[in-house]
Amino acid sequence: MRTVAGLDCVITPTTDGEIAIINLGSARSRSWSRFFADPARDGVAETVIENEQLTLQFVGDLSALDRVALLAVQLDQAKPASARTRLIQAQVASMAHRFSDARRYLAEAEIGRAPAAEVDRLRLTIDQACGNDLHSVLDVRRRIATETGGIEDLVALGSLLADLRDFDAAHDAYRHALQAYRDVSPFPIARICFQLGMLWRELAPNPNPALAGSWYRRAIAILPMYTKARVHLAEICSAEGNSGEAEELLRPVVTIGDPEVDWRLADVLADQGKFEESEERMKAAHFGFESLLERHLLAFADHGAEFYAGSGGDLRRALHLAGVNADNRPTPRALEQAHSIAISAADQVVAL
Amino acid sequence: MSDHIDGPRQIGDPSADLTDLFAFTSPENPSRTVLAANVFPTCGRDAMFSNAITHSIVVRRAKVNGLGDATKFVTSDPEIRFSVRFDTLERGAAGQKPIQRGTCTFPDGQTLRIVVNDEKGASTPDGTFRVFAGLRSDPFILAWIVAAMRPFQNLLQNDNVLCIVIEFDTRRVLEPDRGSLFGVIAETVPLARQNALVGHEPLRLDWVGRPEQTNVRLNCAFLKDADDLRDLWNQQTPFAIADGLRPLFLQRLKDSLAAYDMHDGRQDWTPAALTANANMFLDDFLLFDVAKPITDTSHMEIEKSTLDGKTYQTGGGRTVDANVIDILLTWIVNRDRELLRGGTTKATKPGMTTFPYFATPNLDLQHVSDSINLEAPPDKVWELVGQFGGNWHPLIAQIRLIGTGVGELRIIETIDRQAIIERLDHLDNSARSYRYTNIAGIPASDYTGTFQVKPNGAGSTVEWRAQYLGNGQGDLVVKTIVSTLFKTGLESLKQRFGAAK
Repeated sequence: MRTVAGLDCVITPTTDGEIAIINLGSARSRSWSRFFADPARDGVAETVIENEQLTLQFVGDLSALDRVALLAVQLDQAKPASARTRLIQAQVASMAHRFSDARRYLAEAEIGRAPAAEVDRLRLTIDQACGNDLHSVLDVRRRIATETGGIEDLVALGSLLADLRDFDAAHDAYRHALQAYRDVSPFPIARICFQLGMLWRELAPNPNPALAGSWYRRAIAILPMYTKARVHLAEICSAEGNSGEAEELLRPVVTIGDPEVDWRLADVLADQGKFEESEERMKAAHFGFESLLERHLLAFADHGAEFYAGSGGDLRRALHLAGVNADNRPTPRALEQAHSIAISAADQVVAL
Repeated sequence: MSDHIDGPRQIGDPSADLTDLFAFTSPENPSRTVLAANVFPTCGRDAMFSNAITHSIVVRRAKVNGLGDATKFVTSDPEIRFSVRFDTLERGAAGQKPIQRGTCTFPDGQTLRIVVNDEKGASTPDGTFRVFAGLRSDPFILAWIVAAMRPFQNLLQNDNVLCIVIEFDTRRVLEPDRGSLFGVIAETVPLARQNALVGHEPLRLDWVGRPEQTNVRLNCAFLKDADDLRDLWNQQTPFAIADGLRPLFLQRLKDSLAAYDMHDGRQDWTPAALTANANMFLDDFLLFDVAKPITDTSHMEIEKSTLDGKTYQTGGGRTVDANVIDILLTWIVNRDRELLRGGTTKATKPGMTTFPYFATPNLDLQHVSDSINLEAPPDKVWELVGQFGGNWHPLIAQIRLIGTGVGELRIIETIDRQAIIERLDHLDNSARSYRYTNIAGIPASDYTGTFQVKPNGAGSTVEWRAQYLGNGQGDLVVKTIVSTLFKTGLESLKQRFGAAK
């Protein structure tokens, strides 16, 4: 039975989300201090990257990408041409969806005899993100998940199965991950709940917004500042005509600086007839997206395309960005997005 | 930080990661004993305890059951257990940090409410127990690259940890007349799942007895391609390692100790003595004797004397300032033939002689400031330097601005091609000031800068200030970078606006 409550009994109590976010900020700040004091020391840059990845994913602080980009530059100055530096550069490039760069760095890391397991793991992630030979990736993912039973491996498998449209198997992989979890960090559990929300609203052929919404709510209950979960749940609320709740979800995360929050809030405010504030938010969204696209085009091309195809109101820009994204990672979702925007753009031309 | 980051389950939530355990006589009052456990290695200044964990320090009565190569320490029930659980955060007053409280449960069932970071701690009404929990300077001295056995600077310089200190009346709680030797461990255990079956306790996240059981002895850097047993070890029940796994752990300890012994090319341990040493370490609890003196150098003296076939003379234990890594390496490499000393024998801060005994945390904000008096009036100067994206600084090759107003970013490329990204946080044109945060490029965390032009007679004064979190050895570098940036920029204004006479 696919219910949220049905899984309550298997979920370990986790550290309160507010404490976890404070501790993440605390650890992130301290990891930077250690990096600045001794950038070349083994493990120090890796810890910074881990903390910044969590910050990007769960707090929605997009400037994490700027920070890790500069870390890669500084590390290259401190320890040039080492296999470890190349691995970190590959990781940073992958975070920003610069997959060609990431592959090049990985190849160099391999030549420098970086640990094969780390190279293979990152290469698999990149292949999955780029939709490259997904059935081979699936074989490897299944093998790793069976061998380790680790939550990260099960979630990666679930995500891949969802990409391959095997939704029941994806659901089972996520459920298995929830059952396997024995730690107290709330981040992995919140992420699984978010992925299940995505599965049943964004990916499934017959979306189930009620079920998806309950997973997003669960993710937010675990991690109140989970920006992406708030945005997705707000979309469901808006679609159901509940703009009040959508606004309540979005207001607390406006200051994070994610333009998607500004965009969705602008839409919600427009629905409520608050046109002046809506316009302000939409301006902020425009500015935010352009700022991100200027700095990290590949990382935000798909989000930018969605924005400009929607309330951003610039189908030509949307089409361009969707093309950039599809060229960078020709996954079924990226191609679908480009196709759909192209049709809308064609319709607009006909209408004119 | 002897046990820090010793398995994947601790890496998940760093606040579950036990770093160290201490047992010593109170320097304030010799009739009281102090037990302390630290979690969350290298945490920053805002760190809080997890509310999903029970933190426990568990003591059992111990006795010597064999000397020399037959050395054996055995412990017996009942457990003397101190457990601490922390709450979710409470909102502080506006602008104040949130507050965290916790509850300590003592062996006699009494409970005591505590407030995290309350320096004075809390005491039970009868004065038997006193407890502190909060952020402190990490007292551990890791002045070695252990994998290469090379002395080095303290790798934990300026680090902080979350510390739980429990002090109590020795006679009332431990009843030393029945035996004064004890073994102690600390553990972190998650709370039980909803509707969990009785008798199915959650798996332990981490536990620690003697320092460096996991990161030095079980995960010996000299044993290439050996499986990492640390997570398996952490899941063992303290004082009761599973019989089926004892041979596995014992073999690893023997291999590891043999590798350390031969590190200097000289065999100081006979096979029988090395096996006895491994067996002793397999029973992993920190020994302390409350009837004998516990000093900064008494750590492991109980174990070492017993293995040497002698009666121990000190209370063993572990004080805040004990240099446990030097003591351990000297013992396992050359059996105390010659003292092995790391790159330093000093922690960031020494322990204190008063409660809570662990030094205040390392939170020093570093400040850099500079100013210059100019002949031109403030409005004229502000017209140029008040632009967040103004390119007036001689060390800056170009500035790109993204956005407008508060929140805008300036991406600076310096003349030596370094990139700096800063965000405008506050702008007050009437006061001719702005405040910004460094996002990236300045090698310091929590860096904020303030720029202001003030009237000064007919002319003006330009003030430029920055503050950031110190990180020890890197501070001088940052200070030099920032003060050079300030001085060069401000001096350049003299040419444009004239120096005040």
